[in-house]
Amino acid sequence: MQISPGVLFTIAGFPVTNTVLVTLIVDIIIVLMVFSVYKAMSLRPGRLQNAVESVMGYFYSATKDIAGDRVSFIYPWVLSFFIFIIFNNLIEFIPGFESIRFFSQHAAEGHEHGVPLFRAATSDLNLTLALAVISVIMSHFYSIKYTGIKSYIGRFFSLKMFGLFLLVGMIELISEFVKFISFSFRLFGNIFAGDIALGVTQYFFVMFAFEMFVGVIQAFVFAMLTMAFMTVLTEKSH
Amino acid sequence: MEEILNIFGLETSLFLFQVINFLIVAFILKKFLYNPLMKKLDERKNKIEKGLKDAEDAGIALENAAQERQKILAGAKADADAFAVSAKAALDETKEKFTADAKNRSQQIIEEAKQKASAEFENMNKQIGAMSVEIAGKVISKTLEGLFTEDEKQKVTARALEKIKKGDYEKSAN
Repeated sequence: MQISPGVLFTIAGFPVTNTVLVTLIVDIIIVLMVFSVYKAMSLRPGRLQNAVESVMGYFYSATKDIAGDRVSFIYPWVLSFFIFIIFNNLIEFIPGFESIRFFSQHAAEGHEHGVPLFRAATSDLNLTLALAVISVIMSHFYSIKYTGIKSYIGRFFSLKMFGLFLLVGMIELISEFVKFISFSFRLFGNIFAGDIALGVTQYFFVMFAFEMFVGVIQAFVFAMLTMAFMTVLTEKSH
Repeated sequence: MEEILNIFGLETSLFLFQVINFLIVAFILKKFLYNPLMKKLDERKNKIEKGLKDAEDAGIALENAAQERQKILAGAKADADAFAVSAKAALDETKEKFTADAKNRSQQIIEEAKQKASAEFENMNKQIGAMSVEIAGKVISKTLEGLFTEDEKQKVTARALEKIKKGDYEKSAN
């Protein structure tokens, strides 16, 4: 199994990979779920609405407990990350998901058995990096919006305590860039390693269950870290 | 660096696709799931709160109604007691009045009866006296027959009768 996603075909120079295909399938599933809840939304919830309300309620109260009145703009991001990642993580557990091979001009290069038609999108660094960038950039955007540009800059560049705060600010600035790597590689590494482990153990049921657990936990971790970083960055710096 | 990027399959077009894709999904989720669902949750919360408040109000109203009922019942009982007391007093008064009237009337009837009986008795005495005189006259006349002449007989009889009329009859009547 190669680290990079397998290219199935190209459209006007855009490489349609197996992860892009799965991302689109997950999009369709999410949109179908959203519209089926939206259409049947009522004061007496059905099973699906009840399940969505439970998840939403959990994330809303968890965010409110930590972020307080900033919950209104933080929790939609947290929940969106969770829903998007968990669907992308768990879709690979559909039986036969990665067994279907695709042979094409692009796939054939160096792959005599073709490439898998489907592959978990979170095992593609392009997706995990995209999510990390969105998470970090939105955190900084809300930081500027809610604390003001002066407070935002003061968080990284301050001459208080004889320049000691400047050193702390520099470390914090570096940690902000590190977030791109930690966010993206944590998710990518866990799911990609799980893929390999499942392949090696021939989908041994214990490993299967463990990887499902990892898929849920990683979605939760990404969402919770986003919540924590957004909350910290939207606090006024002292 | 480029080699590392190639190993991981990082490509600008794929990266941008994933960014745009996620933003669209997040927008759809926010617009069609979170906002309407939050609205529904608020609506439900308000409805539940209103229901609880209505139930509380109804409880208070019920309690007030029970108190009012108790108050009305107590008032009615007091009125009934007062009415019973006044009715009893009126009844006693009426009873006393009727008893006194009856007593007076019976006294009057007794008096009248006594007077009537007395008058009757007197009348009877008079009649009996008259009858006695008449009988006595006849007895005397019959007794004196043959002993005296008719003229003497008449004189003696008249004198005896006169005597009877004057003295003995009245004494015996008392």
